Amino acid sequence: MEPRHKAPAYETAHPTTASAITSPAAHELAGLLTHEDVDRARDRWRVARARLTERRSRISGGFRVLWLLIGPGVLVFLAENDAPSMLSYSATGARFGVGFFIPFVVLTFLMGLVVQEMTVRLGAVTHRGHAELIFDRFGGFWGLFAMGDLVLGNFLTLVTEFIGVRAGLGFFGIQPAWAVGGALLIVIGAIATGRYWTWERITLTLAIFNALFIPAAILARPEWSAVGHAFVTWTPFPAGNRMEILVLILAVTGATVTPWMLFFQQSAVVDKGMQPRDIRAGRFDTLLGAALASVFAIAAILATVPLYHHGINASQYQAAEFAQALEPWIGHTGAALFALGIFEAGIVAAITISTSSAYAFGEVFHTGHSLNRPLREAWPFYLILAGSATVAAGLVLIPSAPLEFIVLTVNVIAVLAMPPALAFLLLLVNDRDLMGDRVNGFWENVAGVGVTVLLIIAGMSFGLATAFPKLLRI
Amino acid sequence: MKSHHEGMAEGSPRSQFVTETKSRPDLRDPTVVLSLLEADQVVAAKWHSRFGRRRLSPGVRVLLWGLRIYVVLMLVAVLVSVLRALHGSP
Repeated sequence: MEPRHKAPAYETAHPTTASAITSPAAHELAGLLTHEDVDRARDRWRVARARLTERRSRISGGFRVLWLLIGPGVLVFLAENDAPSMLSYSATGARFGVGFFIPFVVLTFLMGLVVQEMTVRLGAVTHRGHAELIFDRFGGFWGLFAMGDLVLGNFLTLVTEFIGVRAGLGFFGIQPAWAVGGALLIVIGAIATGRYWTWERITLTLAIFNALFIPAAILARPEWSAVGHAFVTWTPFPAGNRMEILVLILAVTGATVTPWMLFFQQSAVVDKGMQPRDIRAGRFDTLLGAALASVFAIAAILATVPLYHHGINASQYQAAEFAQALEPWIGHTGAALFALGIFEAGIVAAITISTSSAYAFGEVFHTGHSLNRPLREAWPFYLILAGSATVAAGLVLIPSAPLEFIVLTVNVIAVLAMPPALAFLLLLVNDRDLMGDRVNGFWENVAGVGVTVLLIIAGMSFGLATAFPKLLRI
Repeated sequence: MKSHHEGMAEGSPRSQFVTETKSRPDLRDPTVVLSLLEADQVVAAKWHSRFGRRRLSPGVRVLLWGLRIYVVLMLVAVLVSVLRALHGSP
């Protein structure tokens, strides 16, 4: 547990890159080291060794440094390619074919890249999670609002992940209780390692299977010239029910920029032990994650385009129904890959989103919040992690649970909750007391404010269209 | 405010010694652990220190309240939209 034997007479924190051994408090700190510190020091030693190798061999050493530092960025973007997100991408392909949504998806990932990079800097410089910084700098009143948005969004999203798991494995005839129970065991198994590094590598390995949508897309035989045309012209623009188009635009946006991503990546950067000198590698990690996730998202759109060409109405499809509907057009193998992809999307997101909730809980209540902590030292952290996943999984198995309601709303809620989260992010990352010289530059602020304004406009359009439906018929 | 560039954890003499030695470091030695971490990265150091509250200017307060009202209104819109969708009305 935390060193509670001392009264918490808090001093003002000052970010510093000075080694702990040179700190005036080094002697006192030496007696208070935890398992978490030791594991983190082991990870730092490996990075330092890799940097020594990099001096001798730039390519192999550089690759080794990147291999050690890659993780939070790739994970956050591949996890955000989750079950409801892949469902949203699939819905655009099935409803509108190849067109506007292909370049639009890339734009949303660029927006995600802009804001996620800021969390890398915040985590590496302050060594504190996002929730902790919001509570410290803005107080409990505003902190509770931010946490409310996070907890609501995370729980609803977690439920949809288990819906994805159930639907994906349902394609293979696996009973819901076995599918959801098995997925829950994987979530708990990943955290049972008691080591951030091992957890991260297990989850990354699972996340790479998001690439299953690529062979599914190839089996759908996309018209590559139409894809190229869509990238250049952003056309054809979707036609039809404008409210449906607006909701899909919001859902696709919510599939790439959501509050949990900010909280998760910053906490993961801290847990990984990244330092300011690792920011460059952290940026590469984030860029790689965004690039991979956008390719896989486009693959999901392309995989469902045959439904559009054959005039099949997919407006009410759930995840596995897409796989079943696709089978005549992309074959059993393609449909099975699609269903497995939905399963993978659900399981990876379930792991990361439940971890994001647990990190935030630990940061706010100042209990141990690291995957480097053994269970006995941080049981509240692991309890929240496993408990939130278990409750969400259980809800999916209740026959009359309002699952359709949750699936319909989850990505839209994510977009609507994002502007306040971005406001906190921008205020924190421009705070010189926290960031020193690593505050946002002019263009970073322009991009961050631009993303926020775009999301507010999208949200307000949705609100106006809901209040005044006739507006969309003009 | 201390400088953000007082010295590098991995660049300190003790850290250099630890990393340049080929064998795995003995992490039971607290000085080895401390030499590999930044001063504000140690759990106990974080436990005993907090970033204090920042002063919220009137502009920031208006921004935060505005965005909070925005979220509440939008959540009502979502609820209305979903209820309409579930009951099949346009």
